[in-house]
Amino acid sequence: MTWARRTAAMAILATLGPWSQARADGAPAPVIAIVHALAMPVTTPPVADATIVIAGGHVRSVTAQGPIPPGARRIDAHGQIVTPALFSAATQLGLVEVSGARDTDDRTLSHGPLGPAFDVQYALNGQSNLLPLARADGLAWAMSYPGGTQIAPFAGQGALIHLRPSGDILARAGAAMVALTGDMALATAGGSRAAQWVLLRTALAEARRAPSPRDPASALILSPVDRAALAPVIAGTMPLLIAANRESDIRQAIRLARESAIRVAVLGGAEAWRAAAELAAAHVPVILDPEADLPQTFDSLGARLDNAAMLAKAGVEIAFSVPGNGIYLSYDAGLDLREGAGIAVANGLPYATALRAITAAPAAIWGMRGAGTLTPGAGADLVLWDGDPLEPASNPAMLFIDGHEVSLSTRQRTLRDRYAPTRAGTPPDNATLPPAYR
Amino acid sequence: MTMRPAPLCLMIGLMTCLSVPRQAAAAIPPWLRDLFPSTYRPLPREDTLIVHATILDGAGHRIEDGSLLMRDGRIAAIGPHLTDAKAHVIDARGRWVTPGLIDIHSHDGTYVVPITAIDEETSDVSELSDPNAADSWIETAINPQDPAFARALAHGVTTLQVLPGSSPIFGGRSVVLHPIPATTMQAMKMPDAPWGMKMACGENPRSEDAEKGRGPTSREGEIAFIRAAFAKAGRYRQDWKRYLAGQGTQPDDDARLDTLAAALDGMIAVHMHCYRADEMAVMLDLSRALGFRIAAFHHAVEGYKIAPLLARAHVCAAVWSDWWGYKMEALDGIRENAAFIDAAGGCAMMHSDSPFLGQWLNIEAGKAAAAGRRAGLDLPPEHVIGWLTANPARALGLDRRIGSLEPGKDADAVIWSMQPFSVYAHADMVFVDGAVAFDRTDPHRRPRTDFELGRTPPEAP
Repeated sequence: MTWARRTAAMAILATLGPWSQARADGAPAPVIAIVHALAMPVTTPPVADATIVIAGGHVRSVTAQGPIPPGARRIDAHGQIVTPALFSAATQLGLVEVSGARDTDDRTLSHGPLGPAFDVQYALNGQSNLLPLARADGLAWAMSYPGGTQIAPFAGQGALIHLRPSGDILARAGAAMVALTGDMALATAGGSRAAQWVLLRTALAEARRAPSPRDPASALILSPVDRAALAPVIAGTMPLLIAANRESDIRQAIRLARESAIRVAVLGGAEAWRAAAELAAAHVPVILDPEADLPQTFDSLGARLDNAAMLAKAGVEIAFSVPGNGIYLSYDAGLDLREGAGIAVANGLPYATALRAITAAPAAIWGMRGAGTLTPGAGADLVLWDGDPLEPASNPAMLFIDGHEVSLSTRQRTLRDRYAPTRAGTPPDNATLPPAYR
Repeated sequence: MTMRPAPLCLMIGLMTCLSVPRQAAAAIPPWLRDLFPSTYRPLPREDTLIVHATILDGAGHRIEDGSLLMRDGRIAAIGPHLTDAKAHVIDARGRWVTPGLIDIHSHDGTYVVPITAIDEETSDVSELSDPNAADSWIETAINPQDPAFARALAHGVTTLQVLPGSSPIFGGRSVVLHPIPATTMQAMKMPDAPWGMKMACGENPRSEDAEKGRGPTSREGEIAFIRAAFAKAGRYRQDWKRYLAGQGTQPDDDARLDTLAAALDGMIAVHMHCYRADEMAVMLDLSRALGFRIAAFHHAVEGYKIAPLLARAHVCAAVWSDWWGYKMEALDGIRENAAFIDAAGGCAMMHSDSPFLGQWLNIEAGKAAAAGRRAGLDLPPEHVIGWLTANPARALGLDRRIGSLEPGKDADAVIWSMQPFSVYAHADMVFVDGAVAFDRTDPHRRPRTDFELGRTPPEAP
């Protein structure tokens, strides 16, 4: 099956999901008209002086100098850019609070029997302090992925999250089955990349066979619960996200995609440019780090800043995930996703493709139709920016999720306001009391 | 900030020190010896006149349609319309010129990419056999073939300080390098640059020592450890002073106490890894009580909470724009940190701590300044560039030589393709001591390390 057909099939599933039109408190999504916007719907060309009408939690229209519906709240964009809210193709938002404090970190299994059955949906923390900051930087969607299990090469199942302020962030569980290759999980695989691929292929073969208690081979790798978890991967409904940086592993991933109905995507892809044509031909999308240009390990000796540009030119669907020393990935998931896209543009990627890589492309890869675009009928998740969204110095001026304006306040902002040098003497300030009274 | 004299031997060069008569040599305390003297020589250069550029001079000025004349490796003149009959002229119309960037916190050359499994067991970032590694000199570990040096240079960095890591309480001596291609550390070492001493407080040394089952396992234990170490170094320093004054026998030469004694002498300033505001306040008091000088707090994630205190103490703060949250002492990081420290009259600096971030210091400053502007502060580019140039030069004790484009200073400069704080900006040309060390359009002026040679193509296929 081609990636496009598979995505279409997934989109049908996605539309059955709960497209919320009302907030948790039941307030209906209002009718809003954003006027004088430079609209960038991503999946269609930009519209200057656009009127963007949203109602009932969906985008209704994006038209140049279009009319304002009666009773609509009018917002003047003053020529600023409006884009779909951002979508991080791979992050760990909601799974970690303080990475150095392991009791606040649910990303990775260091013990226990679970492999493919490790499913991060159950750990998602909708009140994580990382989420409001990601929202304030323009992010509304993400695929949050697990870090690893003891059943090589599987890391477990990622979940699609929708950063609703209500805290109910799970949009779809089982969004991806993650497998780690190369230097990322060598030890659990016994110490060789070769073992990783044999284990992966054997596990997939086990999952394809009907369970048989009399067949000892059926229990070589997978427990019954892990076998069940892999069933949607075999059926082609759950993508298999293979973390791979070295060209050889990327080619193995392409081979797997060609030989089966499994929907393969690559995460990392530092050397993906070396197999760009093959990735395009096999319709294997790549979720890459546009800031990676150091030979960080022997798996990424070929890392380079024009990776994204070369892949896009070859016709590969690309999306971005920006690890930034492991900090940007979740702690600055919105801001530095934009920075990464900007760096890709600075190194040859067309602007529209870079914007797509943090909106419509991840939505397509994860089969979430109606996200990452402003086409009529799409979910009304959008951002009015105060500048170029790919400049990290820019910020959202307004954010809408499910058609509701969402607060941009964060804990960081409250700290800022408490200690701001510009605040002294501002009523009702009392500078004689310690900051905790402010 | 009080100016400290550069160490005698650093100023006059080691060869002079070695060649002085025996009796005179004995008059120099052992902590002033440079065992690994610089052999740095500027790259081949010609006098260069950059014209029609928007110049941020690092000293707070912005010159539109400006010119910069670099002669014999020094800034000869800067102004609106310079001419020079002999200099090579570069038309920088539409482009911007700044001083070379200074990364005051790098581990390049010791955290060497590619990282391998070997690095999980042993690493050159820190000497971990003892919480006091003051006797380790990070310069003795520098691998010039670390590709991170060339990446930093290609993104506008002309000087960097390599510091030991934060696992030991006393990490050892830092070194100031130019990230230019070389086969030895000495050939990168900035001549006559003072050493720094790395110290660390808070979570990192505490957890390292707890893991190893030795050394302090608490913040209070770290302070006690520092007091004991300096007390011992103080006695050592007095013994040497007495001996040099002609009294008593020659004390043992102790490399660990040497570095601490130099700190007590004011010859080596401390670069202090601290995150929390309360920790920094304790360290400021401790430094006064024990008699060492803190040049800068590094990371200083809560620096904004004590910005006036840092400003009054004349201690700089090297910060990130947006790193926060990954450990308990980093929970309160805000993007306005640099801007708030700056607004209090303090000395704010951006730093990398990472080969990845060491390429994007200009974007770091852009992000930090944008946050400050949103908080209502006036932060024009000609001021913000100081966070990457003049301020780190000051914290390194090198502000008379680098950090701004003023006549007489080293000709370290960058031509940027556009406003340098933009994500789209490229460092088009990078000059170190007046020589073109990097040119984006000239393959022969884009250094590649031996490691990368024969592995990866320099150009897109």
